[in-house]
Amino acid sequence: MTRSGLRKWYPESLRTFGTISVPELLVKYIKEERIKPEKSRFQGLATYHDPCNFGRKSEMEFGRGFYDEPRWIMDRCLENWVELYPNKKYQTCCGGGGGTLTTPYDRERTFYGRKKMEQIRAAGAQMFVTLCHACHGQVNDIKKTYGMEDLDVKYLWELVLECLQI
Amino acid sequence: MNKSSKIIDPGRSDRLRFAAWPHSPDDCLACGLCSSLCPASGIDGFDPRKVLRMVELGRIEELVEARWLWLCTMCSKCVVYCPMQINISDIVRSIRTLWDREKIPGDLHTGLVRALKTGNVNALSSQEFVSRMQAIADEIAAEPGFEGFTVPIDKEGANLLLTVHNKLVLRFPQDMKHLWKVLYLANEDWTITSENPEGSNWGYFNGDDPAAKILVGRIVDHMKNLKIKNLLWPE
Ligand code: SF4
Ligand code: SF4
Repeated sequence: MTRSGLRKWYPESLRTFGTISVPELLVKYIKEERIKPEKSRFQGLATYHDPCNFGRKSEMEFGRGFYDEPRWIMDRCLENWVELYPNKKYQTCCGGGGGTLTTPYDRERTFYGRKKMEQIRAAGAQMFVTLCHACHGQVNDIKKTYGMEDLDVKYLWELVLECLQI
Repeated sequence: MNKSSKIIDPGRSDRLRFAAWPHSPDDCLACGLCSSLCPASGIDGFDPRKVLRMVELGRIEELVEARWLWLCTMCSKCVVYCPMQINISDIVRSIRTLWDREKIPGDLHTGLVRALKTGNVNALSSQEFVSRMQAIADEIAAEPGFEGFTVPIDKEGANLLLTVHNKLVLRFPQDMKHLWKVLYLANEDWTITSENPEGSNWGYFNGDDPAAKILVGRIVDHMKNLKIKNLLWPE
């Protein structure tokens, strides 16, 4: 949203400063060897969820979705991770976006999330990694309802941090 | 009102009203792809194809009262699949724009009003916000490997502006730590701001462009006033 707002209302400002997304920043740090994640930390099966805003909506509005960067990072942190299906542009929304987390419609929001939870279950993942605060909040909030309270829900940068030797 | 007995009156069709919208609902083939793939379809009567039909028929009074309109996450999956490339997300947002602000469910509008007035959805004073941030930083500094950690606030000339997610400030402060630690370990020159620190924009969800513009403008001001080189996209 900030990105389309800047383009729409403050286009001249975009010539005065640079912009970068979290996945790009993490890739940059790893490539420049400023941080060095190691794959030995987690053995269980993980999966990655494309948030609507970083993926499909970014592709539709700006011509490119951030699909590859998070996957490149996942590859550097984990031996064992699988895709959800469908993914990338055709991914299924978790149900936490668009402001739904702030509405009083909790039951409806939880029901909306069933498709995402089925996907995660079908993938057999024990860890769910994403980039978006809404996705993180939503999946954490509803996982118990779907009998998946053991699912480890993580931000991508949290995963990176945990794979660093400190 | 008994909706099922309501007769559709083509005279009520009010296309001009939507002329400025990016896609014409006239294009809809009624193929049902959107309805069959949308996870919100069927909840409380929501159905994206129905939304399109209602727009086409000018039944706007119902659309600006329908609570189910807020079940759509504007995820745009339906848009990707729609053979006519109708931007249903945009249309849903445009209908939200027409809503009476006071009737918007939950905290979406009230939270936005607080953000506009106080600089943050949580309505914290700048002092209280800063002291909360510093308390988190102190906890990090007590961990091995992070001795001397501080959170840079209003740092002029910083390389990277980090906006703060409102949800983390009060409810999940521990979740703020991960990214801060990564920035520290990568030796990043970053900063947050003491005033207007947030990045998420509730004006977007609400269809409230004037408010959304003010919130984005705050970020532009930070970049300019503090001469920050790069903005980390809030989300
Ligand atoms: S997918 Fe597009 S054309 Fe098909 S019913 Fe939905 S809006 Fe109409
Ligand atoms: S944008 Fe709304 S209508 Fe379309 S698939 Fe997502 S939730 Fe359903």
